[in-house]
This record gives sequence, C-alpha cells and structure tokens, in this order.
Amino acid sequence: MSNPQVELHIAGYGVITLELDAAKAPKSVENFLAYVNKGHYNNTIFHRVIPGFMVQGGGFEPGMTQKGTDAPIENEANNGLKNANYTVAMARTSDPHSATAQFFINVADNGFLNHTAPSAQGWGYAVFGKVVSGTDVVDKIKAVKTGRKGFHDDVPKEDVIIEKVVAL
Amino acid sequence: MNHPAPPVTTTVPRFEELVAPSHWRTVDFISDLHLQASEPATVAAFQQYLEGTTADALFILGDLFEVWVGDDAMSEPGSFEARGCALLRAAAQRLSVYFMHGNRDFLAGPAFLAGCGITGLADPTVLVFGGQRYALSHGDLLCLDDVDYQRFRLQARSAAWQQQFLAQPLATRRAQARGIRQESEARKQSGATYADVDSPAAIAWMQAAGAHTLIHGHTHRPADHVLAPGLQRVVLSDWDATALPPRLETLRLSSAGLERLPLAPK
Repeated sequence: MSNPQVELHIAGYGVITLELDAAKAPKSVENFLAYVNKGHYNNTIFHRVIPGFMVQGGGFEPGMTQKGTDAPIENEANNGLKNANYTVAMARTSDPHSATAQFFINVADNGFLNHTAPSAQGWGYAVFGKVVSGTDVVDKIKAVKTGRKGFHDDVPKEDVIIEKVVAL
Repeated sequence: MNHPAPPVTTTVPRFEELVAPSHWRTVDFISDLHLQASEPATVAAFQQYLEGTTADALFILGDLFEVWVGDDAMSEPGSFEARGCALLRAAAQRLSVYFMHGNRDFLAGPAFLAGCGITGLADPTVLVFGGQRYALSHGDLLCLDDVDYQRFRLQARSAAWQQQFLAQPLATRRAQARGIRQESEARKQSGATYADVDSPAAIAWMQAAGAHTLIHGHTHRPADHVLAPGLQRVVLSDWDATALPPRLETLRLSSAGLERLPLAPK
C-alpha cells in the first residue's frame, strides 16, 4: 500500500504536499490524519517561523487563538526517521509523549531534534513524513518577517494561513 | 553551538461552554473537600454549608470525595457514598449543583449524577457569567511536571481501564483504593514535593478559552496569581474542619466579582 499524502493549502503561498510514513510512524500518521479529517487544521496558521530551523503550525487560529486538541499520543521518534530538511514532525511539550495537533516542517537538517535515548532529554521529535512537492512554498514561508506577538516569539508579522488540509 | 528552542507546544484541551442563566445572582465554587467517613467534622461543615448557602448555583471543581470506587457504592445500605449523595440531593432541590471530576473521584459516573440530581461538568469548562468568561478546571491536567501522574491519568481516563477496574467486586475496589491512599499518605509524610500549575500552560488555556480568569483546585495552595496583565489564576482552598484554623472556604462570584467566603462557625 502506498503512503498517504495530504495537501496543505496556504493562502497566497501555494500548496505543500506531504507524504506520510504510515509504516514507520503509524500512530503519528493516524493522529495527524484524524485532525485532517475533522477539519482541525483548516484556518490555522504557521505561528512560529525560524529560518535555518523550522516552521511550526497547526495549533492556532489567526489572531493567535489556540485551538483545543484531543488526547496526546506516544512519541515515535525512535523510528529511525531523521529531522532532515523538508521532513515533517510533531511538536510537543517538554513531556516526550505529549504531541497533539501541532506539527513543524524542518527547513534545515536538525540533528539535535533526533531520538538519542528513551529519556526526557533524549526522546527527540517524531518525524512522520516529508514534503514531496511545494518545497518552494516552504521556502517562501520561512522567509517571512516575524516578531513578538503576545507571549510568543517568531510570529509572522502577517498571518500565514493554512486555508485547508486535504487528504489525497 | 546554541540551538533555538525546540518546537514546543502548550497543549490546550477542548473547552465546553456553559452560559449562566440570567437569573443567577451568585455562584459558589468549592473543591478538594476530600469527604470521607473518617473526617466527620468536614462532612458536617459541608452539610452546614449546603443548608445555609444563598448561592443560585454551586460548582464543585473536583475531589469532593476522597475516593470514589464506582457508583454501585451508593447502593450499599448505610455506605458513606449513600450519605454524601443524600446531602447533594437535598441541596439540589434548592439550587443548581454542578460536579466536575477530580483526580480522586473521577469514577463518579452517570448513576451518581442522576441519583443526586446534579449535573456533570466537563474539565475544562468555560462559564459565561455577567458577560465575562471564567475557565474552570480541577487543575491536575495543568500540573505538567507530574509526568508520572499525567501518564496514569491518561490511562485511568480510558474506557478500557475503567471497565476493567469497575468489573471487580466492590470490596476489592475498596481495598485497592485504601492501598493507593496509604501510598499517597506515605509520599506526603516523606516530604515529597508536588508539582504546581504550569504558568505558560495556564495562560494558553485562558487564551484558548477567551477567559481572563482561571478557577481551579487540586493543588491545595489557595492564592490569587496574576499571570499576565489581565489574566489571573484563582486557586480554591481545600477543606479541613479539624485544621487550626479550619480551612472551610468557598469562592463566590457575583456582579461584584470574586470573593472568598469563610464558612461561618455554627
């Protein structure tokens, strides 16, 4: 069976297509697709953008209103997938097994996010897919102007809005 | 080399919303009474409070009971649970009573609510009162540094875990609860420290709820914290009638705002 793909439609930027690795990250993929299918990501923003690092989104509506989520999932960062340029991974709290809806796209090889040990410090961030088309869209997003907004740093000055996410 | 902060999140659950009926003038909040047969003075104080309160609604934000091992405990003749339920049922004749689970009484189920004539309240809930939004929670979900507890909580709130636990005979469940309580007491006596509410998470919750105030219990550290301009975290007191001085306090919400009211001695 081929891996599932989803399209992120970014208003004014274009479409990013992700291929999800259901074999190596089954729980993360199932969780991500559940949020996709209930429309959670529609009208959310990339709220933390750091060139040379990553772009993070899927948790806030425009205006930095955070959306409620379902229960957290197990961290699959020990699946061998690396936080390489243009891979997609789950964001989380300081608890390794706490990812819910927010994800990020690496825009550099971020080896320090990889799994090194089954400990609080070493768990790392679970990669569950990669960008297969629309890397130019990712490059445009990482170049936006950012600043401080409320309690958050690195927030785009102008909202980068995910209009909708469509499972193919 | 210095790396930027990793892709962190502060997880925010979904909020239920409850709009206070316009005839409510006053709402009381209590939590952490930890009612149990071995603390009769606190039970009596609760009864005195229920019989005397002038509030239009009472919100119980978790851990009303020290432990709840299943709704069938209520049907055991003369059980403490049956007595507790009778107190609530009498109060529910006069005012609206809402019940949120705590970490001790999270197994209180639909039969308990129906038997007492009270309404269950999701954790968290936003109460809309007088045009203002108040985020309500027991508070345990926000104690993020209690990693082991958060893991247990996730498991214990699953349908599978609860079915398995409740399938055991009542006496077995009571014995298990005693064991867990003894462990918890031993931990307390050993001077273990307990996690407090995580401030960034509390701020994220309030922003998600569109609320300026978060009211919660669980930590037994009653205080009013200003987390940011215009955002406050109000912590309810636990109840203990035998403490010196006794800790018997409600938080009252009215058009004048929030006010802590000590229970007047009889």
